[in-house]
Amino acid sequence: MTIPSGMTEATFADGLAAMRDVVGAEWVFDQPADLNTYRDFYSVFWGEPEERLASAAAAPANVEQVQALVRIANERRIPIYPISTGRNLGYGGSAPVLSGSVVLDLKRMDRVLEVNEDNCSCLVEPGVSFFDMYRHLRESGSKLMMSVPDPGWGSLVGNALDSGGGYTVAGYRGHWEAVCGIEAVMPDGELLRTGMGALPGSETWQQYRLGIGPCLDGLFRQSSLGVVTKMGFWLYPMPESMLSASVSVMRFEDLEELVRIANELEYGNVFNGMPGFSSPVLARENPIVMSMVPEPEVMNAMVAETGLPAWSFASNFYGPERVVREQWAYMQSRFAHIPGVRFAETGFVRLPLTPEDMERIHKPRFGIPSLEIFSVGSRGYGDFNPSDGHIWFSAVIPRSGQGIIAANRVMRAECERLGLDLFMFVPSVTCWTRSFVLFAAVPVYKDATRNRELRDKVREVIATCASHGWGEYRCPPAFMDNVMDAYSFGEHKLRRVNEAIKDALDPNGVLSAGRYGVWPRHLREGRGA
Amino acid sequence: MTTRRDMLKWGAVLPALGTGWHGAFAAAPQGLDALVLDTRYPGALDLADASMPVWRFAGDVTPLWTGHLSARWKEPGHVLGGITGSDALFVLETLAEHRGRRVVSRLALDLPRVNGVQAYRWIIAPHHPSVTA
Repeated sequence: MTIPSGMTEATFADGLAAMRDVVGAEWVFDQPADLNTYRDFYSVFWGEPEERLASAAAAPANVEQVQALVRIANERRIPIYPISTGRNLGYGGSAPVLSGSVVLDLKRMDRVLEVNEDNCSCLVEPGVSFFDMYRHLRESGSKLMMSVPDPGWGSLVGNALDSGGGYTVAGYRGHWEAVCGIEAVMPDGELLRTGMGALPGSETWQQYRLGIGPCLDGLFRQSSLGVVTKMGFWLYPMPESMLSASVSVMRFEDLEELVRIANELEYGNVFNGMPGFSSPVLARENPIVMSMVPEPEVMNAMVAETGLPAWSFASNFYGPERVVREQWAYMQSRFAHIPGVRFAETGFVRLPLTPEDMERIHKPRFGIPSLEIFSVGSRGYGDFNPSDGHIWFSAVIPRSGQGIIAANRVMRAECERLGLDLFMFVPSVTCWTRSFVLFAAVPVYKDATRNRELRDKVREVIATCASHGWGEYRCPPAFMDNVMDAYSFGEHKLRRVNEAIKDALDPNGVLSAGRYGVWPRHLREGRGA
Repeated sequence: MTTRRDMLKWGAVLPALGTGWHGAFAAAPQGLDALVLDTRYPGALDLADASMPVWRFAGDVTPLWTGHLSARWKEPGHVLGGITGSDALFVLETLAEHRGRRVVSRLALDLPRVNGVQAYRWIIAPHHPSVTA
């Protein structure tokens, strides 16, 4: 068994015994076959001594048990690592950042505590999966729609805490943006409620996010400061319809104008669905991989030769049919001055969805969780050719035409120089409304030599992107220190303030050590090594 | 109640069936509560033995999960056999472990790969006390 570094076996065994007393022996796991669940199947350290492994796991059933487990850990300085369902494959899965941690598996806390139809909100426990919530909404006859990631097997709470994203409406598809009200067990075992939840008797916990004073919700995003046990979300009223459309332009030079107008229309609420920016002519060989953006005259010649648009902007409108059709008509008028512009209505669906609709739609765009992506975009366990999985590289870049072109060229050139494979590359993901995210899927292997090379290459890419002012918003544990290093303004003031908060709230450093580059004082020097 | 003896039995029976398609389907092992067949592999539509529920799907586990397994795997028991691509098995195994279940038998089949995906024959059985009791 891997036990926490610097801890005696006796102390650790005593801690596990105390945890068994709290949750029951059957809900504490310390056997290798059980702990397999808590490995990161996409780890870039797979099978190496540095692979981050849990020493044990405990699965509490309620808030009181979480409090008791945190206190037990604190008293013995046992590192613990909470997970909701641990499904963020490509960003670490259910494995702890610090080897030897006891995973606090919150899967048994799976109650939908409230759905308020009038307030369009819900309050859930961390073990509630998107599938659970979808079933709850449909079985209860709810008129609400949630936003889901793809795949949709994770937890609402866990995904929001990781800043996951969906595919639906602005203000909802950035899942952290839709959070309203958090309850968390703090490292000392006490319970904190943020926003209006701090006011006993308040009926507005899921209505007003800020409460009074500094907004503390951010303490729990990608953090190591608390175990979130309840979270409120705003939900979108089920729309009457959804219209999809595209605006395509035929010249390299038109991208800047395309993005500028699209941004204005989105920020002005002329459309509310997730937009997409692509280059049909550069993705003609692989729709999920944009090749290097060439010089303007070369790209324009490619357009002339193939007849494919240089750039395309896809937009989605959710709302009453009369409204979305008017919005689409207005949108067309705004782009009409671009020479050669093409407009296309690519889909129109009335809700509720029919069985026939379900066969043809991209379900996550309607808030419907799905696992389909695994059958089209991922290799399975036991099939390691050509890759054993992937990690995500997700850098925030400027939301402009130049942002797309610069990020494309820099990333493409770096990958070519380093020999780094990508099996998905989209420089303009728009889960978040005010920036693009350069999204790349990097294959990982069950081969230590290849993974060592891979890690070195990814670190170089992180540094290169940082030199252009592009930082990752989320990353696998192997690179959390590197990414946090890149946020270096003021001699790393961001990290130093995070560390000061960590020291104040978790002086024994038991909770989620090392998560997103924030280490407790006793591990800071070696960064957990 | 699912016993350790049951799990060993199920784990042992599949390899004896051989790794070819017809061997895989000729005699589904006794004791399974349902069988999952991945229709991406030729032959999955031909299985006539319907002594147990047979759920067919084409690689996307979603309908299998929402329609059958999500509810059944919350309750004790339910041993599931399957012949699927490794991608689907990966998803099912992850979901199973979350619900106190484990792959107790896994065997690569001598079938042509479909889109590079290897076919496996497998059994998932409950192991945690919360679903074996």
